[in-house]
Amino acid sequence: MNHYAATEAYSRKLRSSRRWTLAIKIINIVILIILALAVVLPILLPWFFVFKTRLEFSYSPWSLPTQIRWTNFQEAWVAIKIGQGLLNTLWVCLGAIAGTVPAAAMAGYIFARYRSKVTEVLFYAVLVGYFIPVHMVLIPLYQFSSRVGLADTLPGLFLPMAAFGIPFWTIIYRSFFRGLPGELAEAARIDGAGHTGTFFRIMLPLANPATVLAVLLVFIGAWSDYLLSLILINNPNLFTMQLRIAQFLNQYGTDHMPRYAAASVIAAAPTLLLYIFGHRWIIRGTLAGALKG
Amino acid sequence: MGKAAAVKTPQLSMGKRKAEKKKRDWHSITFQALFLLPALAFLIIFMYYPIIETFRTSLYQTTGFGPARFIGFQNYARLFASEEFRTGFVNVLAWAFWSVVIQIPLAFYIAFTLVVYKTRITGFLRAVYYLASVMPSAITAMLGRFIFAPTFGVISSLANRLEWKWLASIDFLGNPNIAFWSLFAMATWAYTGFSIVYFMANIEQIPMEIRESAQLDGANLWQYARYIAIPMVAYPIRIIAIISTVGSLKLFDLPWLITGGGPVYATTTLAIILYKQGFVNWQYGRAAAVGVIIFLLSLIFTIAQFSFQRKSGELD
Repeated sequence: MNHYAATEAYSRKLRSSRRWTLAIKIINIVILIILALAVVLPILLPWFFVFKTRLEFSYSPWSLPTQIRWTNFQEAWVAIKIGQGLLNTLWVCLGAIAGTVPAAAMAGYIFARYRSKVTEVLFYAVLVGYFIPVHMVLIPLYQFSSRVGLADTLPGLFLPMAAFGIPFWTIIYRSFFRGLPGELAEAARIDGAGHTGTFFRIMLPLANPATVLAVLLVFIGAWSDYLLSLILINNPNLFTMQLRIAQFLNQYGTDHMPRYAAASVIAAAPTLLLYIFGHRWIIRGTLAGALKG
Repeated sequence: MGKAAAVKTPQLSMGKRKAEKKKRDWHSITFQALFLLPALAFLIIFMYYPIIETFRTSLYQTTGFGPARFIGFQNYARLFASEEFRTGFVNVLAWAFWSVVIQIPLAFYIAFTLVVYKTRITGFLRAVYYLASVMPSAITAMLGRFIFAPTFGVISSLANRLEWKWLASIDFLGNPNIAFWSLFAMATWAYTGFSIVYFMANIEQIPMEIRESAQLDGANLWQYARYIAIPMVAYPIRIIAIISTVGSLKLFDLPWLITGGGPVYATTTLAIILYKQGFVNWQYGRAAAVGVIIFLLSLIFTIAQFSFQRKSGELD
């Protein structure tokens, strides 16, 4: 068979199967759309409740709201002190970022640029930490916090949180700094910048993409944390948003569903908004960890 | 990754006097130590020290107050003798098994179709699938209750409206045989996004020429997936299998917040048992023993991951 005949036969085959291909394509895309709806619709569920009174809710929980009222938001805000909760969570997030990112950037830089037997061994010690489940340390962590007076304080929560984030971000920073051209650092050195100057003036600004990722993802992680907060925080005034949401049902029972839904909408808003506006970054950061971890 | 390894460490210009060099080395070492100090301090205080403590505590009978009594491996023996622990142990292994069998094919299907069909719709859908993964777990748990609750839940309201009595009468969270699957559905919703994104990135790395030549040979999409795409992303699939398995061992938030581990022990997990032993019963020793068991199980799976990696390391 010569080349021409082969292409001819191929295009004939293509024509006959084209209709099938199109049908399969449409079926698959419809399935994808249905699955995407299955992802999105549950997130919208609380919105059925938040504008309803308790009476409306108990008669027809899933009807569309007849009227937009914000009283549930106001009442939830007061009932579980959402203002205080948001502030606590914000502190925890900022603390986790401040604890994780600089330490990881500095360590990652050393592991990338000052390679020796000692730093290699230390790097493996950090790498091991990436695989340690936080459950493994809960009991001693709790005892330790009580002994040094960190129990029931926000630093007592965000410091261990940072410790468990450091291995991952050190790995990311290390591979990022290794990808940067070494001539830059040398040029800075020749210009008379010391080790510290080279890092802060040349290398760290170049690592901005990694830093943005780290800040975003550490924020989301800290905002969403439940287990560590549950164990390390007992004082209701220090409760984070997630603890307040989880406690709501115990305190008020199911007859305050509309308020509960309103509170949860507030608690989920920051991470959802961050994702909606920064999903490119967030997905890339998540993958960076998976591909290089 | 391979490219980055070739970058050389910056070296100080040579040909200086020895004393000068020594001084510089000293500078460099101080600098390295100072820069490593914060990270290492964090890890030693909040990770390595507590790990050693966990191993030690697991051999004692202690409530955290008063004297601790050394009892050897009795904590472990008592755990394996209790029905609650054995149920939790089986639950997390079942959970791990089903997440590999159900979530991975689902994630692969979504990722594959998203990559293969490049249209405006799929371009938009790409970002949607990860959305559930950024929800805080306390909220996901609440959504789970909204969906599965008797009477007011989405499913039973809908069933009542349609007058499907059989569906309305199912107690999704109260029936021990069904509660596990209700939770599993919520977890699939919350945790599959990562696998989808990860598979997508890997399938996209398959060179376009391979797909084109497969098409020219008359391979349809199913054949392309079966004989080319799946073998080429076999390594990422195994990685996700390990990540899901290790994740199942640590499962806490969703079962604790939706069913509290019940009814009876139907949805309990190792982490829930750890929490209850440690912070409800104040049996620190026994809780630490659960922690050690979670750690050892994850270690086994992590070593498995590394041995896979070594076998097919050049694929990445």
